[in-house]
Amino acid sequence: MEYPKASEVKRPISENDRNIRRISMWKYIANRLAMVLIVIAGVTLVSFFAMYLAPGDPAELIALERYGQDLDKSQIESVREAEGLDAPVYFQYFIWLDHLLHLDLGRSIITSDDVLEEILLKLPATIELTVAGLLISLLIALPIGVLSAFQKNILLDNCCAFFSLIGISIPNFWLGILLIWLFSLTLHIFPSYGYGSLSHLTLPALTLGISMSSITARLTRASLMEVMEKEYILAARARGFDEYTVVLRHALKNALLPVVTFAGMQLGYLLGGAVIVETIFSWPGIGKLLVDSIFARDFSMVQGCVLFIAVLFSLSSLAVDILYAVLDPRIRYDMYD
Amino acid sequence: MDRNFKLILLTCMLLAVIGASACISGENDETAKGDSFVENSQDLVVGISSDVNNWYLDKFADGDARFVWSQVYETLVRLDSNLNIIPGLAESWETPDNGTTWIFHLRKNVTFHDGTSFNADSVVFSYSDKSYVRQAVLKPIKSIEALDNYTVKFVLQKPMPLPFYLTHVAWPIMGPGCLDKAGNFIKPVGTGPFKFESQKKDQEIVLIRNDAYWGNKSLLNKVSFKIIPDPSTQVMAFENGELDMIIKVPEYDVKRLEAKKGIQVQKKLSTFTDFLQFNCDKTPFNDTKVRQSVAYAIDTKALVNDVLNGVGKPAEGRPYSPNMMYSDPNLKTYSQDLDKSKALLKEAGWEDSNRDGILEKDGSPLNCTLLVSKGAWAARHTLMAQVAQEDLRKIGMNVEIQVLDEGAISKLEGVGNFGMILRTGYFVWGPYPKHFFIHHSKSPYSHYHNETYDQLVDAADSTIDPQKQKELYYALQDFVIKEVPAFYLVHEEKVVATGPSVKGFVITAEDPWLDLSGVYLERK
Repeated sequence: MEYPKASEVKRPISENDRNIRRISMWKYIANRLAMVLIVIAGVTLVSFFAMYLAPGDPAELIALERYGQDLDKSQIESVREAEGLDAPVYFQYFIWLDHLLHLDLGRSIITSDDVLEEILLKLPATIELTVAGLLISLLIALPIGVLSAFQKNILLDNCCAFFSLIGISIPNFWLGILLIWLFSLTLHIFPSYGYGSLSHLTLPALTLGISMSSITARLTRASLMEVMEKEYILAARARGFDEYTVVLRHALKNALLPVVTFAGMQLGYLLGGAVIVETIFSWPGIGKLLVDSIFARDFSMVQGCVLFIAVLFSLSSLAVDILYAVLDPRIRYDMYD
Repeated sequence: MDRNFKLILLTCMLLAVIGASACISGENDETAKGDSFVENSQDLVVGISSDVNNWYLDKFADGDARFVWSQVYETLVRLDSNLNIIPGLAESWETPDNGTTWIFHLRKNVTFHDGTSFNADSVVFSYSDKSYVRQAVLKPIKSIEALDNYTVKFVLQKPMPLPFYLTHVAWPIMGPGCLDKAGNFIKPVGTGPFKFESQKKDQEIVLIRNDAYWGNKSLLNKVSFKIIPDPSTQVMAFENGELDMIIKVPEYDVKRLEAKKGIQVQKKLSTFTDFLQFNCDKTPFNDTKVRQSVAYAIDTKALVNDVLNGVGKPAEGRPYSPNMMYSDPNLKTYSQDLDKSKALLKEAGWEDSNRDGILEKDGSPLNCTLLVSKGAWAARHTLMAQVAQEDLRKIGMNVEIQVLDEGAISKLEGVGNFGMILRTGYFVWGPYPKHFFIHHSKSPYSHYHNETYDQLVDAADSTIDPQKQKELYYALQDFVIKEVPAFYLVHEEKVVATGPSVKGFVITAEDPWLDLSGVYLERK
């Protein structure tokens, strides 16, 4: 048995230490928040100028939308002037930024709807699907991960590995259609499309959940197996705890750290819209809005969506960072040290 | 491991997969079979691919919106199911001076959905300067005037067959009640057989029967249009009985649905034709012989049979679907003849000097790009492009297919950096052959410049004598066959499927129209 070096021995935590740690926690959050703001500033630049680099003339688009295919060049020019599209690009950017600071994301070229209103209208559907998908994936992944960590090299572990492999390999659009075929066409349990009730939510959430759970399950398994090798698990066993307590109270809590990070990243991606799942199930979420807008070349809507998604993504990764710091005090100590 | 622990974990898994779903289904059982399928209900549920983004005349109604518009709004002039012109909201019309002035006599006793009566003022309102159509297709209109309560006079800058243009469902008559006092749009107010009831964005549009309709009232109480963008989901929802009708059945599902008991699949030739437009400003397609050789190389019969599962009709170069006005039934069309095709290329100076299978002229190989749009027609066009690519390879032409979004295509078009574009249905409305304008020098989408052609198009568009029109349009079709500014591939067929409960539906040829008169439901 090796003894820790003197420098590694932690001194008892005093009230003063606790205060400093509390401050360091806030400092940590403030630091992360500042980084998020920088990211968002970058996103405004990228999302604005990317649309200008994209092929297609916005003035022609607006004119086409207004007058149909039968338009001539003078109409395009008059639209350019009326919409302020003849001003220099950087000037247009600052005007856009000014509007943005007043929470005005502009109006859609295609539908003339207010972009922010439109996004907020789609947000509940996206959040609903994201949360349900994530819950289902965790409900599937954690038990599978834990089971396979303990059943090394036997049938169950192989089954779990097989499930994970299939889950990773199956594309969402295929799984979605398969689930519709099974649960709607064959068993008549769930509706095949639509939004509004829990039964409408089931199939899209299952599609998302199953496809996400495979990676989470493998991650849980790997992480748990690593933790189970640690000395404190041996210590816990030596103290006579039963396996249940050892795994759930001592091992799983520590093993979940990478899983939380991963789930958090997934949350960020999903809030940006599970585009394919939303399209298959006609789920009126943000992902579908973004894709529709891209195909319709609805510049203002695409800019608004990209910005909104980037902000959501940054905030969700901020939330994960904070959660991580709460779960793993070492991260705060790093700041403190 | 502890047995209890395993048991808990297994229960969790079961909960996730089955529990979460099964208990949910119990509470809302009827939704699995559609929301409104009550016995004997006359509530029709129709699947469409895109939402209605616009209900007013300040913008062009595109996509599937027009199927919904055609229930709520009506036009002055209508088409029957075979594209013959019949009276709509106008009972009759005349032109005293060969097409520069048009006088429409309106139907009496027609009311709008808000109870106000339809009259000459509402026609003037609908075609006011605010209406986009006045700045687009109906730009030649100088003035619109109400002569009395039920007579309207249109004065044009040049003679033009106005009634044909007024058949288009995107340019209907709207009641002034659709705007508030400040001129902002409030709600759709039309004269059609159905009234607007509600709309859930990107989910559904609900219309209810207009009991004050001037014509035969609908037998249905309600029509719900469900928006399902994914074609596979749409077909599955239809097979599951969640939809009564789908109006754009994908080609690959037609045969399967036809074989299903109780499902009715109706097909009808529409006015749309897919075509390969050439960049005639640049080599190699600035040479008529090269364009002709493409026409001889591509097997349009194989396109229909192999790519489109037999849905549609091979166009063989014919610009107009045979059901359109002035489509020449005796037009000499192309059929695949590779020897002729190769001979034409040889005459044009293209030869395979280095024996690599690709022809050369003055040292440069016969390469070109074929642009395909990622838009609504992408699925069918990409496959068609691949077959064309194969066929052209056989005559020594190397075609590179580029599937791009519309923006990228319009940019490449702008700078002329392309060889061919696969397109469909530009400027097609009703039976009228306005489409020829796409190859007119003044069109922003034209890549062909020929004075004779321009003169023919101008003359055809400003004449109203049917005999003369027929001659001119026949001449134009002949011109397109000989000069090949574009090679016309397939006349599209419209495919509508109805479920076992739907009775009395008859498909119409006009594409954006959905005619539900006579439709009723027998639910079991």
